[in-house]
Amino acid sequence: MQLQKVFRKQQGWQYSIFAIVGFFFAIIAGFFYKGNPDVAWGTHVTADGTLFKWIFTYMFAPLQATMFALLAFFVASASYRAFRIRNFEATLLLVAGIIIMIGRVPLGSNISSWFILYLLVLIGGITINSVFKNKQYTAIFVSVGIIVITSAGSSLGWPLDQPGIFYLPYLQEWIYKYPNVAGARAIMMGIGMGIFATSIRYILGIEKSYIGE
Amino acid sequence: MNDRDFFIGAGGVTFAFLIYWFMGHPFFITERIVMFIAIMTFSGTLLFYIRKARRGEDIFLREIPGLKAVEEAVGRSTEMGKPVLFVPGIMDMDQVETVAGVIVLSHVSKMTARYETTLNVPVSRAIVMKAAQEVCKESYLMEGRPDMFHEDMVHYLTDEQFAYAAGVNGIMVREKPAACMYMGKFYAESLILAETGNSIGAIQIAGTASQAQIPFFVTACDYTLIGEEFFAASAYLSQRPELIGAIKGQDMIKLIVIGMIFCGVVLRFLHDGGMIDFSILEFLTVR
Repeated sequence: MQLQKVFRKQQGWQYSIFAIVGFFFAIIAGFFYKGNPDVAWGTHVTADGTLFKWIFTYMFAPLQATMFALLAFFVASASYRAFRIRNFEATLLLVAGIIIMIGRVPLGSNISSWFILYLLVLIGGITINSVFKNKQYTAIFVSVGIIVITSAGSSLGWPLDQPGIFYLPYLQEWIYKYPNVAGARAIMMGIGMGIFATSIRYILGIEKSYIGE
Repeated sequence: MNDRDFFIGAGGVTFAFLIYWFMGHPFFITERIVMFIAIMTFSGTLLFYIRKARRGEDIFLREIPGLKAVEEAVGRSTEMGKPVLFVPGIMDMDQVETVAGVIVLSHVSKMTARYETTLNVPVSRAIVMKAAQEVCKESYLMEGRPDMFHEDMVHYLTDEQFAYAAGVNGIMVREKPAACMYMGKFYAESLILAETGNSIGAIQIAGTASQAQIPFFVTACDYTLIGEEFFAASAYLSQRPELIGAIKGQDMIKLIVIGMIFCGVVLRFLHDGGMIDFSILEFLTVR
């Protein structure tokens, strides 16, 4: 097919030359030229010093790694699109994603629970201000919140990981082990039952369109 | 087979099994009796609803946006004069998802035949290529457009995962299809394909039961068929009664499983509290 494309000078025939050269190169390396005379035929595909192994290590593996590396950039662009705050679910996804990302790195274990508590008080103040639009309520809420947290922290000696519910590593582990696993298991059960029902349909011949009816 | 024959047959099989059981059930792994009963119950439920649907009972199937969008996507491609790209996954026909993807391809190819749109199906396995060619050929024949079918519309690229992804990406960037459909089993290349499709501005519909890839498709594609929605695609698109009946049977099995989960929780609670000796965990463990 590739030869036909080259002879007839069809669109993209130049790429077919690479396909043909690669084809013959692999055939020669696999069946005719070992490159290392001390290695037996058969084991030459994995033994060091052979042409076939060279092709795998210096041509195929880097190309494969390059394609895999693209994923890092695609994940970033997909995350940027997914985490835009459009609705409640997207916001929840963003917050959970941030908690898990920070909670899983060493930085997360150095962030005190009390810092998170202060942050929550400030977020609460912003919410109250946007709902009630009253500066007095906002000021009272924020002030009381700061006083309560400071008193509690001082009395307990400012432990880094207490209260545990606001410590990022514990929080991310809880999110990962409970809500995440619950959702994943529900999907898995649905998939399992779907595969079971679909297989029964194929085995009993109820569904025949894939082999032509 | 009418109802009378069906129930006589089922009764006969049950009676034969009971005789086999009381004769000492040689070669039967007794530890797996629970799995055997579960398979029999679930299969029986499926068959019951398939037969019910064949008798003409009206069964409600909820709207699945992803499947409704398939015809819109093909229509969009026709209007823009661009091809439709269909990717049936990277695994072979031994995977249920690949077979389901090929079935969706048969419906998509009927639409492309009807609307005279170019269809491009790059595949990763030789047997999938043959199966896909046959379903496309049949679809075009059924639509009365055998002249529009050519074998090159389904073409083999490579077995290698990332080489296949690179090949499909190249097709997307060069030919700029207006609609990209990913229906089958995918692994790490799913995001590469979906993001490239997104960058060319194509409408993307994905369907897979690969749990780890579903979030990537949900993020990058316009419509995603998650898990069992993908397996319901053939029933939804064909509207054949026996297939819709099978979907209803599947839902009933889900209800049975939910009931078993609740009962299991209660029994486990009673066992852990020392009120009963029966351990549901021991009973359900498959050895």
